[in-house]
Amino acid sequence: MTLTATRFDWVRQLVHRESAIVLAPGKEYLVEARLLPLARKMGLSDVDQYVDSVRSRPRPDDTRSIVEALTTNETSWFRDGDPFTTLTSTVLPSLLSARGPAERLQIWSAACSSGQEAYTVAMLLEDAMPNASARVSITATDISREMVERTRAGRFSQLEVNRGLPAPMLVRHFQRAGSEWEVAPNLRRMVTARECNLAAPLPRMGPFDVVYLRNVLIYFDLPTKQAILRRVRELLRPDGWLFLGAAETTLGVDDSWSRVVLGRSSAYRPLKGA
Amino acid sequence: MTVPTDSGERRRAGDRPPLVTELIDGATVQEITEQAWLALVGEDEVLVPLPAPMPADALSSWVEIVGPWTGSVVLTCGRDTALALTRALLREHAPEVLIKEEDVDDALGELANVVGGNVKAVLPGPSVLGLPETGSTPPPGREADTCRVDVLWRGEPLTVSVQSHAERENEVPL
Amino acid sequence: MTVRALVIDDSRAMRRIVTGTLEGFGYETRQAGHGQEALDVLHEGWVPDLCTIDWNMPVMDGLQFVNAVRSNPAWRAVTLMMVTSESEHGQIVRALAAGAHEYVIKPFTADALRDKLALLGLLPQEVSL
Ligand SMILES: C[S@@+](CC[C@H](N)C(=O)[O-])C[C@H]1O[C@@H](n2cnc3c(N)ncnc32)[C@H](O)[C@@H]1O
Repeated sequence: MTLTATRFDWVRQLVHRESAIVLAPGKEYLVEARLLPLARKMGLSDVDQYVDSVRSRPRPDDTRSIVEALTTNETSWFRDGDPFTTLTSTVLPSLLSARGPAERLQIWSAACSSGQEAYTVAMLLEDAMPNASARVSITATDISREMVERTRAGRFSQLEVNRGLPAPMLVRHFQRAGSEWEVAPNLRRMVTARECNLAAPLPRMGPFDVVYLRNVLIYFDLPTKQAILRRVRELLRPDGWLFLGAAETTLGVDDSWSRVVLGRSSAYRPLKGA
Repeated sequence: MTVPTDSGERRRAGDRPPLVTELIDGATVQEITEQAWLALVGEDEVLVPLPAPMPADALSSWVEIVGPWTGSVVLTCGRDTALALTRALLREHAPEVLIKEEDVDDALGELANVVGGNVKAVLPGPSVLGLPETGSTPPPGREADTCRVDVLWRGEPLTVSVQSHAERENEVPL
Repeated sequence: MTVRALVIDDSRAMRRIVTGTLEGFGYETRQAGHGQEALDVLHEGWVPDLCTIDWNMPVMDGLQFVNAVRSNPAWRAVTLMMVTSESEHGQIVRALAAGAHEYVIKPFTADALRDKLALLGLLPQEVSL
């Protein structure tokens, strides 16, 4: 049985209002599959009943659970390779020559999911520069509280460490913790995880030298993408670097960026005076 | 997760060897098994933590772990379940394709190897993992030194137990 | 260019899973049930780009196989990737020290193999995007 149109619509609007995530018609199955565990947890047998119960007695916790359940948290280490390898080959040397020796580099993983992106950056910098933990701070944010907590914990399952993490880095930067693997304390100290909704006014942070805003704009409509790119630009230093996901671009969305080809992928830099 | 960490102190000379229940808990064994199922059997293959009576014609596969803790990791299920698992592993969904007995032994053995290797990594090391075996009579375990998980896969019972060997005198006499 | 892989594992089911995945990426594959059988394939002249290697096998285990391949300069170009349920920190260190390039812990998904092959530059271009 599938979710009725009015109930799907109610969920769609709630998720859009809270997170800007667009659930296109046809995603009923997704809503149904993702909300079923929440329904079961309340002792209800289907999603229709769950939606009715939440609608009749809304509590902030339910809203949060629904939004979190509808985020897609798929991620991996070194996702797409080049946006990370070019960090140490190109971006870091240019930043280090432009910054004073005492200046801290600030990097933002703006939709961090369970933290693989932030810790990929931490490992690369730790291996590339002496004293990285004193020179770099990485801010990792996500709308999902559960993802922020997972990032903070820095623990990954066997299946997760298999996804793109080079074995030499696994043995260098992780320890076994029961059936999981835990990131080394010096890397965890480099990363600060906090909740942040990209679709709302951003908290005071930064300014950042590098922003990873990857595989999240794809969930938003054009006006939201534009607003987010504008807000990100305000937190990025004028000579900073922005990395988007492989299927994302500023072209045709926000013309105040210039695209720089790095390896087989691209980075974006604020256009001067734009 | 509450895996007791191995402080080493537990293994002072003259002390009894640790019981497996002090080294690994059911939740960890269950998590390891679930990950093996998700990755190898199929991404929608959930294991429901419920005990159920095992059919009389049960089949087991096991691997031995030898080290600071010595024992076996044993997987047990009905023969039909073992056959269904083999089909799932081999991605052989057509019912007319004949699955040979040695294929079942091999597939069930490999599942024991995968679960066993990950169990070994949680236990204090270094230890050695044996080659998997399959049959209807796994090495007998000692009830008092067993960590056992009962689940249902596609509605059928399956157990995973981490057990020390019955014939080994692992414990100081009372 | 076809990429060739020798899949070494004593479990037929696991060999099927690994070869099936690699063939899906465009690989040409052969199989061996243990290290000695795999060495025989190499000596025969079929030298692959990649070996996926289980650790615990009868006759010759994966670590011995890695040592044997590394001691023959003619096979220097072969990429060695462990695919095993041996998952202690120390075991991974041992395999890398012996000359394995990568290490995949069982259980793994097809995505995990794809990610690792991409790291190694061994993913035919069509599948890498
Ligand atoms: C597919 S993951 C991308 C993770 C990582 N950046 C990567 O590229 O692998 C998308 C993440 O965006 C988060 N997200 C979705 N909407 C968001 C919003 N409005 N504000 C902040 N994060 C959001 C989700 O919770 C999810 O963790």
